[in-house]
Amino acid sequence: MAKPARFELGMSPHVVSNQTTRKIMFDVVIALLPALAAATWFFGPKALFIVLISAATAVLAEYLCLKFMKRPVSFALDGSAIVTGMLLAYNLPSGVPLWLPVVGAAFAIVVGKQAFGGLGHNIVNPALLGRAFLVASFPVLMTAGWMAPEQWRYEHDNPFGTHAIAVEEMAALPEADAYSGATPLNVLKQTFDLDASAESARSQGDVAEAGILGERASSIRAALYSVSTYRNLLIGRRGGCLGETSVILLLVGGIYLVMRRVLELRLPLSYLGTVALFAWIFGGSGWFNGDPVFHVLSGGVVLGGIFMVSDMVTTPVTPRGRIIFGLGAGLITMVIRRWGGYPEGCSYSILLMNLTTPLIDRYTRPKVFGEVKNDG
Amino acid sequence: MSLVKDLTNGIYRENPIFKLALGMCPFLAVTTSVENAIGMGAAATFVLICSNFLVSLLRNLIPSKVRIPCYIVIIATFVTLVDMIMNAYVPDLHRALGIFIPLIVVNCIILGRAEGFANRHPVLNSVADAVGMGIGFTLAMILLASFRELLGNGTWLNINVLGPGYRNQPLLIAILAPGAFILLGFILGFFNILEKRRGGGQR
Repeated sequence: MAKPARFELGMSPHVVSNQTTRKIMFDVVIALLPALAAATWFFGPKALFIVLISAATAVLAEYLCLKFMKRPVSFALDGSAIVTGMLLAYNLPSGVPLWLPVVGAAFAIVVGKQAFGGLGHNIVNPALLGRAFLVASFPVLMTAGWMAPEQWRYEHDNPFGTHAIAVEEMAALPEADAYSGATPLNVLKQTFDLDASAESARSQGDVAEAGILGERASSIRAALYSVSTYRNLLIGRRGGCLGETSVILLLVGGIYLVMRRVLELRLPLSYLGTVALFAWIFGGSGWFNGDPVFHVLSGGVVLGGIFMVSDMVTTPVTPRGRIIFGLGAGLITMVIRRWGGYPEGCSYSILLMNLTTPLIDRYTRPKVFGEVKNDG
Repeated sequence: MSLVKDLTNGIYRENPIFKLALGMCPFLAVTTSVENAIGMGAAATFVLICSNFLVSLLRNLIPSKVRIPCYIVIIATFVTLVDMIMNAYVPDLHRALGIFIPLIVVNCIILGRAEGFANRHPVLNSVADAVGMGIGFTLAMILLASFRELLGNGTWLNINVLGPGYRNQPLLIAILAPGAFILLGFILGFFNILEKRRGGGQR
């Protein structure tokens, strides 16, 4: 007589795919490489060093944590630490000293990830937490680091004039390896400051001064909202964090991830779409005259939208939840850009929305098959 | 209960911060420098000793239904005293601690020891307990403040320790509010590990 069939009891999920953490993470690393090439091209080999140091520190910190907590140390090589380290480096200005990525990556892994229980248990994106930590700890290094060497040329100029020059030069000097000066978003922020000073001048009765200031603000904005700026942003010829330079190369990585089925389009599309919508509504000087193209291309929203909003651990799993997440993050990004103290709000918006992820998942839970709505 | 045991109880075994998790508000808020921590610890300890003394003395007179208001009156009296004395003799420290001196009134440690210890123990034991708790609180404050001042400012008790090179780029977050929470987490984790190693385990 044949033996009775053996029944195996197992926990869900029962669907087995050949996707593993390691495969996904190395796909992400591959997708990050084009942007790394752009960073190296525009900011020199130092950019490459910063990324390598950051990734190496992240893996080492992960290894030491696992060793200390007596967990299998092979987890350190599942690729997630490398991704965290790379993403952290992508969020740094190119002018930072080389110890900064070490401190940031160690904090991101030790406090942001392993202290919560390792991969899958961290409540916020470790790379962004590392960045927030560095911004709070070393505000000067983190906000002045993108002044390229050519900055000295404008040093004795007044601060608003220099940026106007920088923007024009950016268009006029296509052969330059790097363009000096503040990031495009910094420049935009300063036009808002100019508007504010124009407003206060007008309230003090100095109409002529107000006119000059307002005129300057709008002429700088006109230079920002131009095809030549868009072209530079797409190619990556701009000041900014290492990884956010070239939109085209970031998109190449994103398309690769979509093709490998690592990136699900709902999150990036709802995030970038919300940014564009609110950029149009209040991203400019008044209402409904902002420039969505400029806002989407500048700063870190493409980097964030492809590689950070889509982090599998810290963002919702439900389809509706993902759209809500993107909406919230996009709105917060634009509110910070327009009215916040920082020129860019991408990282904080994602961190804040990371905290709401459990709540979003809970309220967007799809109906279980056969479940009847309880009218209570 | 021996006096010595009551005295040492608060320093480690029932340390108000690390074991009872009481008095977190001043603990997180004023530990930006060792000087502030010592000042705050001394002020709270003084109030704690006085209130434990008086509560224990009056423990058979205070009707249990209105005991909490009575404790608050007693504590508030001493806090007002401390507030005025510090304002008169150490105005700089008084300014640095600011609102947290009047807030000693609602410090959980003081009310907790009045309610949990002094109202059912003799005067001497209550004072011993207050001294121990006060020392435990002050030591805990100094411990966190040492980390925060050293990392965030490169100094310890205003003495330059880490040199000007570090002080140009200190780990600023340690002085800021998030740093207090992060370091508190590390310290609590450290004490939990110690406890586990000693085989005590969690209650």
